[in-house]
Amino acid sequence: MSFLMITGRTVNQGVTVENKTSPEYAAETSTCFMHEFDMMELGLDDGDAIRVTGPCGDVVMRAAASLEVEMGTVFVPYGPYANHIVAAGTRSTGMPDFKSHVVEIEPTDEEPKLVHKLMEDLGGLAYDR
Amino acid sequence: MIVKDAVCPFCGCLCDDIEVEVEGNRVVAVTNACELGTTKFMGEKRLKNPILRDGNEWKDITYDDAIRYAADMLLSAERPLLYGWSGTHGEAQCVGVHMAELIHGVIDNTSSVCHGPSILAIQEVGHPGCTLGVVKNRADLVIYWGSNPIDAHPRHLSRYTRYAEGFFLENAFRDRKVIVVDVRKTETANIADEFVQIKPGGDYAVLSALRAIVQGKTDTIPRTVAGVTREQLIRVANLCKSAKFGAVYFGLGLTMTQGKYKNIRNAIELISELNRHTKFTISAMRGHYNVYGSNEVNTWMTGYPFGIDFSRGIAFYNPGETTAVDILARKECDAALIVGSDPAAHFPRKCLEHLAEIPVVQLDPYPNATTAFCNVQIPVAVTGIDAEGTAYRMDGVPIRTRRVLSTDYLSDDEVLARMYALMQEAQRS
Repeated sequence: MSFLMITGRTVNQGVTVENKTSPEYAAETSTCFMHEFDMMELGLDDGDAIRVTGPCGDVVMRAAASLEVEMGTVFVPYGPYANHIVAAGTRSTGMPDFKSHVVEIEPTDEEPKLVHKLMEDLGGLAYDR
Repeated sequence: MIVKDAVCPFCGCLCDDIEVEVEGNRVVAVTNACELGTTKFMGEKRLKNPILRDGNEWKDITYDDAIRYAADMLLSAERPLLYGWSGTHGEAQCVGVHMAELIHGVIDNTSSVCHGPSILAIQEVGHPGCTLGVVKNRADLVIYWGSNPIDAHPRHLSRYTRYAEGFFLENAFRDRKVIVVDVRKTETANIADEFVQIKPGGDYAVLSALRAIVQGKTDTIPRTVAGVTREQLIRVANLCKSAKFGAVYFGLGLTMTQGKYKNIRNAIELISELNRHTKFTISAMRGHYNVYGSNEVNTWMTGYPFGIDFSRGIAFYNPGETTAVDILARKECDAALIVGSDPAAHFPRKCLEHLAEIPVVQLDPYPNATTAFCNVQIPVAVTGIDAEGTAYRMDGVPIRTRRVLSTDYLSDDEVLARMYALMQEAQRS
């Protein structure tokens, strides 16, 4: 199913933002807040893994029901998971379309990756001392 | 020891009434700050010393070696990018601009991915703004548009709007109306007197409809505009026109959606329209505690607020071309110095793929997502905790942050000044 993905700040994202290697930061920024009817349509329960595919690839997140989002829209706290699928085009403004990406969502059996793993997939080297 | 009136270095509110209890070298309690600020003050797990990536492992190195590495990297680059700057103080930002000019690099700050579009709109039509104190004491109508202060600027409501006392308001809580305009029914929407829910991407149309109503052209408004009923639009326009003093605070809900700076331009023009009827102001909810400062410092040093390219020997500014996301996505820069931000967590993946291919040095107190792409990371003192310096609040008021702890970490400006001195020396010889 297609959804409009909006990214933005949440308190939990802000609280863990200075500790990006923590499981709490990974859990918050890999949460995809959805309308419960959309979740029902996809056969999802709270915490189920989903594959979110955007214009630049796909990433695994977890679904969470939210009263804040409308049907057809999903909200993801900004961070490395959402940005894994966001396109870099800025339409000559310097600013990517962080709040207006159309994504495909489907259930998956895979687990969300750790932030370290996402960075290593793109050529980085995790520091975890 | 209790430090009173400390300044919180998290968001653009720069709350200056924080009490921090320090025992030895640690913060043990924080009073008055929100959850975001408290966690920042209590932050632990800092990087202990500079680190160097050596193949597939990390090595500890000295500050001297790390600073030398960074200076050499920048001097030998043909198109270096100096990015970040919003999470540090003005004195360090100054050194960054001098450095960019010396090596003919590009210097950009995080506003290119937050309120950069707002600045583009302000350059087109101006900024009818005011300080937060004026809003607190005078505003009887506050509109949060595309912003969610309960999550992003938690004390904005209690210090300046919904829950604040006002000198010219008899009973501020009763007399001050709050309108929230958003695509999501956020926590902030729940405490509003009026919530206007717009269909995603519909902000420009709703702003245009409000402008038409304020101009007296109500007949031209269709039954709904981007999901908002005509009746509600008329009610909101009337609330605005009948306010004695209105203030709009807008967030990334306007800058990051379709239309980008044109949304802000339309919002500012609605405010000019309203000023024919009453007093109205509009301001951006700035995110990083000193992102406003990096725009100020850049502007008074180069004439431009962000995305400044010195490759021609003079300052050149063209957002979309000279901004960090575009430069990285085009694989244009051949070295990057990152200060006070974490692009690996906040930039699209295509940018990170290029960061992985070029030498990168980062100044940051903590290991973060960008660490994985660094050749060298230099830990620094945190401004407002173990370093002091000037930061600009979201309304443009400069505030001197205080040092509440003493540690051995060098501050950003000390590290950058040493780097810059090495670069000047190398250029002279």
